[in-house]
Amino acid sequence: MSAKDCYGQSIISLRNVTKSFHGNKVIDDVSLDVICGETFVIMGCSGSGKSTLLRHMTGAIVPDQGNISIKGKDIFDISSRELNDVKKTFGMSFQYSALLDSLTVEENVALPLREHTKLADEIIDIIIKMKLSLVGLRGFEHHYPSEISGGMRKRVGLARAIALDPDIVFYDEPTSGLDPVVGGITDKLIKDLSVKLMITSVVVTHDMHSVFKIADRVAMIHQGRIIEIGTPDEIKNSKNPFVHQFINGNPEGPINLFKEQI
Amino acid sequence: MITYLGKVLLEQARWVKGLIVLFVDILYWIFVGPFLGQFSRRESIVHQMIFVGISSIVIVFFVDFFTGIVLAMQSAYILEQMGAKLYVASLVSVSLCRELAPVLTALVVAGRAGSAIAAELGTMKVTEQIEALETMAINPVRFLVLPRFLALVIMVPALTVLGDLSGIFGGFLIGTRSMNINPDLYMQITFKYLELKDINTGLLKALVFGIIIALVSCYEGLTTTGGAEGVGKATTRSVVMSFTLIIAADCALTAFFYFLN
Repeated sequence: MSAKDCYGQSIISLRNVTKSFHGNKVIDDVSLDVICGETFVIMGCSGSGKSTLLRHMTGAIVPDQGNISIKGKDIFDISSRELNDVKKTFGMSFQYSALLDSLTVEENVALPLREHTKLADEIIDIIIKMKLSLVGLRGFEHHYPSEISGGMRKRVGLARAIALDPDIVFYDEPTSGLDPVVGGITDKLIKDLSVKLMITSVVVTHDMHSVFKIADRVAMIHQGRIIEIGTPDEIKNSKNPFVHQFINGNPEGPINLFKEQI
Repeated sequence: MITYLGKVLLEQARWVKGLIVLFVDILYWIFVGPFLGQFSRRESIVHQMIFVGISSIVIVFFVDFFTGIVLAMQSAYILEQMGAKLYVASLVSVSLCRELAPVLTALVVAGRAGSAIAAELGTMKVTEQIEALETMAINPVRFLVLPRFLALVIMVPALTVLGDLSGIFGGFLIGTRSMNINPDLYMQITFKYLELKDINTGLLKALVFGIIIALVSCYEGLTTTGGAEGVGKATTRSVVMSFTLIIAADCALTAFFYFLN
């Protein structure tokens, strides 16, 4: 199923997903659908469970209860080989980039291509150059991750995520730790990928600038529960006091970190 | 007290189970992987072999060389009193090949390469690099553990051969220089009681030790949690547990070969 065939249908669907760590419910009965081709943003405070939710979608965390399907396949109910086939159709950009330290920038981006395709080295070289110029990092091919800045690492991570031309890209805090200009470029890149290549994007962030620039739909998560879901305009005009406090960044309101810790 | 003991036992049992599961997984990738067209890349195996083997040559040489010297001097101390100082040569060669060279080499490699492997994989685990591999549908056992396992299983026996030679050389120096034994005679006695069986026994031990180092250090690395502190703990544990298991396995194997005879 390519991105164009499924337009308007649900590509990722979560049903009653629940997960506890050491008796703490981190994800509490979450059900949602990500529509093919859209940019779906999950926002919430630190520790609200948004990254954990994303890791459920990538198959890194197994839920205690509930089902997660990608393109109609329940990812915890299929063989590991089938799961790998599903994984090859999505890419993930990690919060701290998660590049392999022992490989150069070029080798990092080439890794999924070398592992999963039989492309000749010359073609892989061309693809790497294309992907790196897409994220504005031509000329850094032979640097190691420890030799470039955090923002650059993040962009290399993004280049690696889109190396196999995936249908879905997951972004974990794509703009955190970036300067405003590079953050803006990253936002534009996410939007471009989604509009031009019809890639479905799932973005976890708490950067409100970026949320309203890139999102087609937004879900707000608080204490492991989805408390509001809708278009950016609906979120902006939401009557929900939690959402209101979050998007305005008010220290006073129903989200009270000090009270919750007691 | 009993609950505490139970907890410790349960933890150890889980640890052993983890090692066994990892071992089965590695065997799967060695024997089934090639038929699926999935194996480790040759460059990464060579890279690991250089790190584990070639870079350990100097230290293995000196450790076994000095052990050969010490062994020759210590046994000469007793054998001279019995008027049998000539047999220093065979005592050095047999005890090195059967016992000391494999164990000392394995301990050196566990301390040098095993700890580095645990620290590297542990850092990769806590910085999400392992998760990134899994998300890219790249099996971390095939991609990371397999080349390290193969490198250790090949290089520990290879280094043991070097250890045998350097230890015998150390003994030779003491025997011929300090004890004034004729060099030709020394070499003759060295090989008189040394059989191929002794060398094979030592190499088999080295192979088992290589497997132990690979399993323990990779398992500790892959199960690291808790940031920098966790990496430190995993590294320490990998060395302590490798050392303990190497000595225990040595004891079991020596007993096995002893009673086999």
